[in-house]
Amino acid sequence: MPKASDIAYYLLRPKQVRSIIQWKVWHQPVHERNPDKEEPTLRQCFTYLDLTSRSFSAVIQELHPELLVPVCLFYLVLRGLDTIEDDMTIPLERKEPLLRNFRANMKQDGWTFDGSGPDEKDRELLVHFDCVIAEYKKVKPEYREIIDDITQRMADGMADYANNAEHSVNGVDTVKDYERYCHYVAGLVGEGLTRLFVKSELANPALLERPHLHESMGQFLQQVNIIRDIREDLEDKRRFWPKEVWSKYVTNFEDLLKPENEEKALHCSSEMVLIALSRADQCLFYLAGLKEQSVFNFCAIPQAMAIATLELCFRNPDLFKRNIKISKGDACKLMWESTQNVRLVYDVFRRYVRYIHEKNEPSDPHYMQISIACGRIEQFIETIFPSQQPPEQSSALSREQEDSAQRESREAMWDVFYMFLAVFGVLLVITALMTGVAYLFGARFGAVADALRARRQAALAGVSSAKAEATQVVQEHGEL
Amino acid sequence: MSAPEFSKNIGHILVVGGCGFLGHHIVDMLVGRHSESTISVLDLRTNSNRNPSPQVSYHEGDITDECAMGALFAKLKPDIVIHTASPHAMAKDDVLYKVNVDGTKALLKAAQENAVKAFVYTSSASVVFNWDTGLINADERWPIIAGKKQKEYYTSTKAWAEVAVLEANRKPASFLTCAIRPAGIFGEGDVQTLPNIVVIGQRGSARYQLGPNENLFDFTYVKNIAHGHLLAANALVATHAMAPTVPLDSEKVDGEAFFITNDSPVYFWDFMRTVWKHAGVQIPMKKVWAFSPEFSLLVASLSEWYAWFKGQKPALTRERAKYSYMTRYYSVDKARLRLGYKPLVGLEEGIKRGVADVLETQKQEAEKKSQ
Repeated sequence: MPKASDIAYYLLRPKQVRSIIQWKVWHQPVHERNPDKEEPTLRQCFTYLDLTSRSFSAVIQELHPELLVPVCLFYLVLRGLDTIEDDMTIPLERKEPLLRNFRANMKQDGWTFDGSGPDEKDRELLVHFDCVIAEYKKVKPEYREIIDDITQRMADGMADYANNAEHSVNGVDTVKDYERYCHYVAGLVGEGLTRLFVKSELANPALLERPHLHESMGQFLQQVNIIRDIREDLEDKRRFWPKEVWSKYVTNFEDLLKPENEEKALHCSSEMVLIALSRADQCLFYLAGLKEQSVFNFCAIPQAMAIATLELCFRNPDLFKRNIKISKGDACKLMWESTQNVRLVYDVFRRYVRYIHEKNEPSDPHYMQISIACGRIEQFIETIFPSQQPPEQSSALSREQEDSAQRESREAMWDVFYMFLAVFGVLLVITALMTGVAYLFGARFGAVADALRARRQAALAGVSSAKAEATQVVQEHGEL
Repeated sequence: MSAPEFSKNIGHILVVGGCGFLGHHIVDMLVGRHSESTISVLDLRTNSNRNPSPQVSYHEGDITDECAMGALFAKLKPDIVIHTASPHAMAKDDVLYKVNVDGTKALLKAAQENAVKAFVYTSSASVVFNWDTGLINADERWPIIAGKKQKEYYTSTKAWAEVAVLEANRKPASFLTCAIRPAGIFGEGDVQTLPNIVVIGQRGSARYQLGPNENLFDFTYVKNIAHGHLLAANALVATHAMAPTVPLDSEKVDGEAFFITNDSPVYFWDFMRTVWKHAGVQIPMKKVWAFSPEFSLLVASLSEWYAWFKGQKPALTRERAKYSYMTRYYSVDKARLRLGYKPLVGLEEGIKRGVADVLETQKQEAEKKSQ
């Protein structure tokens, strides 16, 4: 039973309701998995996928059959790794080898882990990790190689991060550290997925020649999440916003939440938004390299959600007061728009970039830089889908040319005039000649005029007599 | 970012209009970059904006005087000519034509006859702009608009001069030319863009906005434009040195025009507000009144009539109003690829420096008045 407040909310927002209905009714998955043909262990894997991922489960399950299982297992493996990394109840000396050996454990039939803290939401996945291992063994070796590689690098990155006591006490230090962290937890995922897409020939191989593009895909999503989750993370005693940024505005990170620091906190958040926004054009570039629809949807939906979330966070004091997220109606609209084609996703980005621009405030220290970042995204979209083409050359290239063109057009005008004059002149002369000849031969123009007048009167009279005749005819026929 | 390495001596450089707004920045940059080159400056008057370096010599002269130009070139024998001289855009039509077109032709002739290697001409990004339709990411494929279709006579004469310069390329084969088209120049020494915007803000008009402010616009800091000119001169000299080999069509600089901007189009009123912000005038967005384009035109017409009635210069003209809600930005890909151009100074830093200069000038003028 929906809550009364929800009903009131949607009654006042018919557009939101429309978007939700539109998505639920009209969205057709490009591919659908067929659970009946799946092994029980695989079905179990998909159950964990549903349990562990709110946002990715649906898009993964609509992926091309070639990638459906590899990507699902890739996600579960990384989720397992993440669960260990996140777990504050596992002591560091135990956590580090667990992370570094994770890949080795994946090769061990029946490996499970039940050492997660009782509050860890995804502990069940690790407790039953044997089903993931069983299915992972069946994945094509070329895909497994990619997943193995990424898993190991991510695990090492996480272990290094956890090892760095500085981080666990003070959070991330510099912007560089921040980007390094995002690289390990998200940039690498972008790389792994891109390699899977290219290997399965569902994406343009050129994407691998431009590694900064898939790096930006991951960075953008991760950075947006870090911005949005500031409060939630802080409650869990975690700080991902780099000190290099926040220390410009407050002395202690927690001070960002204090009401008296609202303006400073907004300035700080807009610097974070600016860092994320500078990745957006590269994400758009990446999306243009995807060929297959389900892969496109899989990549485009999270990006569209991210730009909308970034807009929501920008200059929003609620960011520091409560957990914020985009409305369900907006989310459905975004999903609808990002499952069609690149152009529509670009339109989504342009729309949200303009919203960000509208919220921009001159007193913000990043006012001009935000404006430049928005302009850059708009300009990038124009380079891919130009809305203007060079017009035809039509100007004179010098004053002499201009003058002679003008002279020519003036001459041309007179030419036409003379031509008409000549034609009418000739006609006039011929008419006069003919009339003169006719007169000489004895034509009586006066009589012609009289005859004409007489005929007109006759015609007028004829109309009335014709009417009378017609009536008569009808009557005659009537009698027959 | 550090600028690429430049050779200390690229030959004798003549900067025409080197005491002007852009010209003196070019001279300063040349002095800093090519410390062993001889630099000559030619201008109508040479008492302002002088560079104290002994490298630079100053010469007064009128570029429309063909004989004088021939004599001066024969005496100086420059290798490179950078021609930035131009009258104020509001000058009379015949003056504009005489200086921009005839003057440029006289310089070309003198250069061709005196074995100049490279000739860089300062054109304008407006040569492809008709003041009616916006420009969205326009590049060098856009044709020039001059004569009848060009509403501003100044721009027509700039376009015609540019055509003459580019046509003179490789006539003779050792004479190389190119044109730089800067968009929306501002910076220290600017007497038009920034001073006007600052005054508008100081008069309390910063709370009005014409149009919805969705129009991206290119403004370019003067030193970046100077940098573009120097890169072009260097590229022409390099092309000259590789003769008789001729560069590929996709790489050539000679005979070509290049847009130069800050490579960061911004929403028109965001630029204005940043200028005001650095001039100490800040209005929160909720207090800003945004007029629709139609209403803006109406206000501008009223302002024109009022000014006509009072016999003054109007505070706002329809042209200006239109300009402020029109999209006008360019792609600098060609300059990036062929000249290696990249702006040296960001937009906001440029604004900061330019506004500081405007405020300083205002202060000096106020002091003069009070004395």
